[in-house]
Amino acid sequence: MGKRKAWGTILQASLAIGAMGAVLLPIFLCQTPWPTVARDYLVEHGQHESGAINLVSAIYLGYRAFDTLGETIVLLVAVIGTMGLLSRVESMVNAVGDDDNTIQTVSAFSLRGEKRSSHVLRTHLLEVVTGKIGPIVLLFGFYVMLYGHLSPGGGFQGGVIIASGIVFLALGNQQDNTSALSKSSILGGIESVSFLLFIIVAISGIFFGKGFFGNPLADSAYPVGFIVLLNSIIGLKVGASIGFMCIAMMGGHD
Amino acid sequence: MRPEDIVFATVMLPLLGASLAFCAKILPKGRIAGVVEYAGALVGLGLPPLVLILLFPVVFSGQSVSGVVGQWFVGVGITFRFDALAWLVNMLGYTIGAAAWVYSLGAGPKGPAFTGVFLIQTAALSATIMTTDLFNLFVCLEIMGITSYVLIPTSRKPGATLASFSYLMVSASAMVFFLLGTYGFYRLTGALSYEGISSGLQAISSSDTMLSIVSLALLVSAIAIRVAVMPLYGWLPDAHALAPHAVSAVLSGVLIKTPLFALSRILYLFPFGMEVGELMGIAGGLTAIVGVVIALSQEDAKRLLAYHSISQIGYVVAAWGMAISLGVDTPAGTSLMVAAFLHAFYHALFKGLLFLSVGTTVDMAKERNVYVLRDGIGKLRDAGEKIPVTFIGFVVGALAISAIPPLNGFVSKTAITYAMKGSLSYYLLSMAAVGTVASFIKLSRIYWPTRKRGSLHLETGVSLGTGSNPQSKAHGLVARLTAQSALAVLCIAGGLAAPHILTIVGTLLSRGGTNSAVPPTLYSTDNLLKTGATTLGGILLFFIATSKIGSRVLHTIRNRPRSFQGLFVSFSLGTAFLVAFLVVGKFL
Repeated sequence: MGKRKAWGTILQASLAIGAMGAVLLPIFLCQTPWPTVARDYLVEHGQHESGAINLVSAIYLGYRAFDTLGETIVLLVAVIGTMGLLSRVESMVNAVGDDDNTIQTVSAFSLRGEKRSSHVLRTHLLEVVTGKIGPIVLLFGFYVMLYGHLSPGGGFQGGVIIASGIVFLALGNQQDNTSALSKSSILGGIESVSFLLFIIVAISGIFFGKGFFGNPLADSAYPVGFIVLLNSIIGLKVGASIGFMCIAMMGGHD
Repeated sequence: MRPEDIVFATVMLPLLGASLAFCAKILPKGRIAGVVEYAGALVGLGLPPLVLILLFPVVFSGQSVSGVVGQWFVGVGITFRFDALAWLVNMLGYTIGAAAWVYSLGAGPKGPAFTGVFLIQTAALSATIMTTDLFNLFVCLEIMGITSYVLIPTSRKPGATLASFSYLMVSASAMVFFLLGTYGFYRLTGALSYEGISSGLQAISSSDTMLSIVSLALLVSAIAIRVAVMPLYGWLPDAHALAPHAVSAVLSGVLIKTPLFALSRILYLFPFGMEVGELMGIAGGLTAIVGVVIALSQEDAKRLLAYHSISQIGYVVAAWGMAISLGVDTPAGTSLMVAAFLHAFYHALFKGLLFLSVGTTVDMAKERNVYVLRDGIGKLRDAGEKIPVTFIGFVVGALAISAIPPLNGFVSKTAITYAMKGSLSYYLLSMAAVGTVASFIKLSRIYWPTRKRGSLHLETGVSLGTGSNPQSKAHGLVARLTAQSALAVLCIAGGLAAPHILTIVGTLLSRGGTNSAVPPTLYSTDNLLKTGATTLGGILLFFIATSKIGSRVLHTIRNRPRSFQGLFVSFSLGTAFLVAFLVVGKFL
């Protein structure tokens, strides 16, 4: 019976893959020359209109910023969902396991064995290295975030680096006087407020006659200010949410 | 402010409300946090309907508001279009959204995080129907998806997380293919806006036709998963049955319909759109009948409702598909589109009402099995309901879905069958109507009074709600009953005011501001006789189903094998079939 079931699964899988492969074939066989309209337009007008040397940031924070708002929301909701899942796993672990054998429950989602108070599984080496490296990583994150309009990088990438800086700071604090950045209430605050700011900035164009998601600085000498502003907001938001999630997974949220 | 700025209020106000709700999350728990959260909900759900009322004269005169987000060059920016279709779907979304949120105040899930995610979902609905850009549509669908994956497990029922996970897996894989379809169109035409693509597609060489067919099929089948049309419905029953009741109401009322109407924008413009509409219409008819047969076999009350959502969306898709295949500018096509939208809207009202009332009853009785649960009215009385509002709500909803005049379900189902008389789908839908009556007789048994022998769960009803204080319990009761009575009143009003509503929707969906839809005759002898025959048939079917042989057949249907990988297999085979159908139609 088990064997027949396995063959059934293999048959199903090959059917599905075969059908999808046949369907997708024309996409890979296409010989038409690549479209040029958007490319030529961006080369000609991109830098002048948005002020950004890095045209990628001109696209995702200028021409198609509405999509970026959507992607930011996806990340925000994903973090909320993860936090919900984590809290449920934690309560399940609490309900099942005794409090003594925390090490046994390490296999669970939130690493309870690594609670800040007990410092199980920590070494001095880890604490010293991460504690020293943390601020530098944080600084680098801000650099990537703020220079997104000039060089590859931007809010999302810088935000993730900021999040790693936050994780380093949380790992490296040797006593329990945690730095403010590893407190989940502070990170949650940054996340919520930067989302509010994003919405307000998105609406702001309307009051300058530029329409929804228009660049209110478009006619000024520095249209790029809009991209820098959005990059900073996104960077703070991404950094706070990912850092928040990592700290929660280390068992440090309340 | 220009109209271009005003239309985006329907997206931005819920987002603003959501960000207020998230700010309430970080405030210390207390009065201020509560005020901020409710203010967010008011901004997000209360103000957009006012904006819609403001925009009504614009769309009613046949105009539409369109442009590029941020006033950029059309080839690189995101185009949008707010027209009558967008207005109608927005109206649908905000009506059900507001009722469901009010209900959630009483029955949970509560809290600023829930409110925030709920508002984001509403914003995504509004953005989905407004966009005319393929990549932006992808983003909107993703937001709609991810908010549902998060909202479904908030019920904390066993299995809800798994249901949400399987929905996530199948829908995320489908979205990969959606993205490939978007790539295919961009590769051919260099445009992402619908109009750019459709004008670009007229210039392509015949060797590239195949790629445009494949790309369209990938888009359509990824959206068909969200709509839960026949071979692709497998994720829906678990997800809708295990979600919190308020979320179930929105999921089956609004969420499965918005992508369908957003897809119609694509199919109007693109080549092969009519053929896709034809196939989807037939699939819709089949969905209606298969869904109702499976629904009749269910023993879990909410799962029965979930299968009815599949069956009813089949009605909508059947009318919608036929409207597109006839061409939406013809009078017949317009009448079908009016009927499809009306049924989508009315289904949202009565199915929302059913989810809320049945949900309340199974919560109070702590029993979901249709064969076990009895004396629902008594259980509700024990929970503090002096007038059985929940029961009345159920009766209104059940009569509406069974198409008994003068309720709204009768109007929209008659409008559908009137417009498609004589076609294959007409017969499928008429048979499905019989099954609907039978399965709602079956479901109504949960309210039947008990014989003394079978009172298994008598004491659970009394001990309910001991954990919470009486005042918050009373608040909860008020919120629950308000939401249900509002939906019930809308169901009845939608039936009584049918001629006016048909004229308004007809005018909105005809191009140019004059009503070109053929108004259906509602209360003719024919229709009333048909309703009577359907009801009698339903009663007969109910007795057959409860007989020995009948219940054995239903047992087999209920326990048919269902598998996780089956979702993927049906998706890929469905897509391949769609491509084959289009290719055969093109070259033969």
